[in-house]
Amino acid sequence: MTIIPHLAKYARDTEIVHRLRPEPPTAREQDAQAQLGDLDFEIFQHKMQMIALEGKETTMKLGASTAMRWGDVAFGIYTAQGDLAVCATGIYHHAVLSQLPVKYLIKHLRDDPSVGVENGDSFFYNDPYYGGVHNADMGLCVPVRIDGELVCFIGAAVHTGEAGGSEPGGMVNGARSRFDEGMLIPPIKVGSNYVLREDLLGMLATMTRDPRTMILDLKARLAAARIAERRVRDYIEEMGAAFFVGALRKVLSITGQAARRKVAALNDGIYRQPRFLDTTGPETQLLKLNLAVEKRGERITLVFEGSSPLLPDRPVNSYFQGILGLSMVYFCGWYFHDLPANNGLLEAIDWRFDDNSFVNAQGDVPVSYAPATQVAFNQGMFMAGARMTYATDPSRAVGAWYTGFAVTVFAGVNQWGDPMADITPEINATGAGGRPGRDGVDCAGAFFATMSDCGDVEATESERPFLYLFRNYFDNSYGHGKYRGGSGVGFGLKVHGVPQVAMGSMGFGSHFPATLGIFGGRAAPPAFVQTVRDSNMDQLLAEADTGLPTRMDELYRQDGEEKEQGNRRFGNLATPPQLYSQGDTYYVMVTGGAGYGDPLQRDPDAVLTDLRNGMVSEQAARDVYAVVWDRRSLRLDTAATQATRAEMRRARLARARPYREFLRHWQEQRPPAAILRYYGPYPQPQEKGARDGAA
Amino acid sequence: MNKTVRITENLSIDLERESWTCHACGHDLGPARSNYKEGCVVAEIPLSEAHPPLVHGQSYSFTPDPDFCRLIEFYCPSCGTIIENEYLPPGHPITHDIELDVDALKRKHGGRP
Repeated sequence: MTIIPHLAKYARDTEIVHRLRPEPPTAREQDAQAQLGDLDFEIFQHKMQMIALEGKETTMKLGASTAMRWGDVAFGIYTAQGDLAVCATGIYHHAVLSQLPVKYLIKHLRDDPSVGVENGDSFFYNDPYYGGVHNADMGLCVPVRIDGELVCFIGAAVHTGEAGGSEPGGMVNGARSRFDEGMLIPPIKVGSNYVLREDLLGMLATMTRDPRTMILDLKARLAAARIAERRVRDYIEEMGAAFFVGALRKVLSITGQAARRKVAALNDGIYRQPRFLDTTGPETQLLKLNLAVEKRGERITLVFEGSSPLLPDRPVNSYFQGILGLSMVYFCGWYFHDLPANNGLLEAIDWRFDDNSFVNAQGDVPVSYAPATQVAFNQGMFMAGARMTYATDPSRAVGAWYTGFAVTVFAGVNQWGDPMADITPEINATGAGGRPGRDGVDCAGAFFATMSDCGDVEATESERPFLYLFRNYFDNSYGHGKYRGGSGVGFGLKVHGVPQVAMGSMGFGSHFPATLGIFGGRAAPPAFVQTVRDSNMDQLLAEADTGLPTRMDELYRQDGEEKEQGNRRFGNLATPPQLYSQGDTYYVMVTGGAGYGDPLQRDPDAVLTDLRNGMVSEQAARDVYAVVWDRRSLRLDTAATQATRAEMRRARLARARPYREFLRHWQEQRPPAAILRYYGPYPQPQEKGARDGAA
Repeated sequence: MNKTVRITENLSIDLERESWTCHACGHDLGPARSNYKEGCVVAEIPLSEAHPPLVHGQSYSFTPDPDFCRLIEFYCPSCGTIIENEYLPPGHPITHDIELDVDALKRKHGGRP
């Protein structure tokens, strides 16, 4: 195809997305940096961090979407070249990704006479090509000029949750190309002279199913940015623009230096963790994401060669920049937890991708489900990271937190007559992975959004047409181990107060567990959705029936007929929205963390404590942990437990075979061809990746 | 030179002998420049044993789908401790998950490559 030269400028900019690392410092930045005093710089860092934190909190307080209100917010201050130097967030991928739209507007719009960048302007964007993840993540930034000099941008990146598209909720299961996914907006000027343009707001509102949320979220980002702008201007008035420009740049410089020093402390080597997804979105299929982490000297190289090929018309593709962004969730949250969250960290990181790879999306392929692919990678990063860090800092060697997402997506008209489309907040209540010396935290949060919260059920019920039947821990939601994973949450919803609502689920791991254990710990079990249409739940509630399940484990207890009657179905976590009626029920587990270490090394008293608290089943206490106890008093039988564990170890050795002998039988097996349609050649989808196996 | 360095919860390396060892019992698990899994004994664990079904007769039950996924455990041949496990599709090559630069490790701990 011939590209007409004057139209090429409107194609996606393939150069800008490679500028993930900090731009080379300008002469102005270098000169200013050299003049900084240590004490003033220290005060600067604290003040800027407080300004960013205030921005994040303000955004949350003013926003309307589930994710914005519960903390899925990255708020920061960018250099005049677009690097995000200061960032307040627990959603760390935006700490390196949200700079790309800013760099785009600097490259394409700053000096364009039809647009320009002036005080009072505001820019909006959600094209995932620049944001890296998916188009439900939307951003806004404002420039700050002092005496004509562009000194910084201030902005927020937040998941708004509804972005139009052929399905609601911002994650389109059935997307066949990016044009099915809804709004794809590269940076555009939505306001000037401190006033938003009503014509553009009208356009944005019209492109989504939930115009109220769209506009309130946009204005929340802007209001927070304007407050931060006032703080920054006050500070510059006190310290001068040169100091500010130099200090902002210095934050990036010292972050990169510190990251390289931390990497140098790790043992050199290659740490591998292939990851397997069990969905393309609409189909149950096997895909491979081949991760190797190569550490040499001061640098880590993330290698993705050997992953499954690009999927031309399925939404689990991810842009490479999104994968690298998600790597920062591991690095910022765990290994570089004591360093600033900014793209200076990438001075210690390199990467390699195949051209034809579903983790290096090209062209018009859909990417709506990219978050699933990205978190699958990230859990592999936790596992390879645990192997990489244990020798030098065991406290960093943690099991993966859950996420196969298990996000419930919904859309329709709420009980107040307002259009709505969003997700429920339980993704922010997953369990953390087991870790050296301690169990994972129960319902810790979302590992990729560590400052987020799942909110009260009453807050959700007040404006969504649902009645929560229960929401609490689930004893079959985490991985067993010497230190068990933290429990996830199980919840049940009833459609309430409206005739109908569309509900679906986004996630993976219904066939191949999403969250795998480390150092012998077990995976969190597969998760799935249970629905009951034409349910008699309304009648049972009206009768105040006290025998209804109040926990997820009661729902699956095998001790009698279910009181709830209706058309019961069990379904995949990846299911497009379908209509449900008043009284229908919907149950899902948002699972827990990975197990850490051999379960037979778990303290038997800890198992009994879990048993008393309803956090482990009797079956697991007996069969996985080999604990023996008195059933009436729940007291440990120490001698019997030791004997049972010794017997179980003998049984392991009796069942096991030497490695080579085991391989002879193992290598004869392969998955059915029906689930390998998108995998690529099995077992190595691409030639370069044929390095992960010792066999 | 420190003789033994800890690498994971369950593994150490004896730098003088350049061999993997089980942290729990000290058993030799083979050359440190190779995959420690080759020095383990290995078993495939039935998925219904590791993750028992809580729903029967359905595609979704809390038990992984054996078409997609199998569980392999690697044990110390001496003490039976699980050194590591892998959830892999059937027949997929075993992962060489820790490939250390042993010479660099020896230099770091005061020895000669």
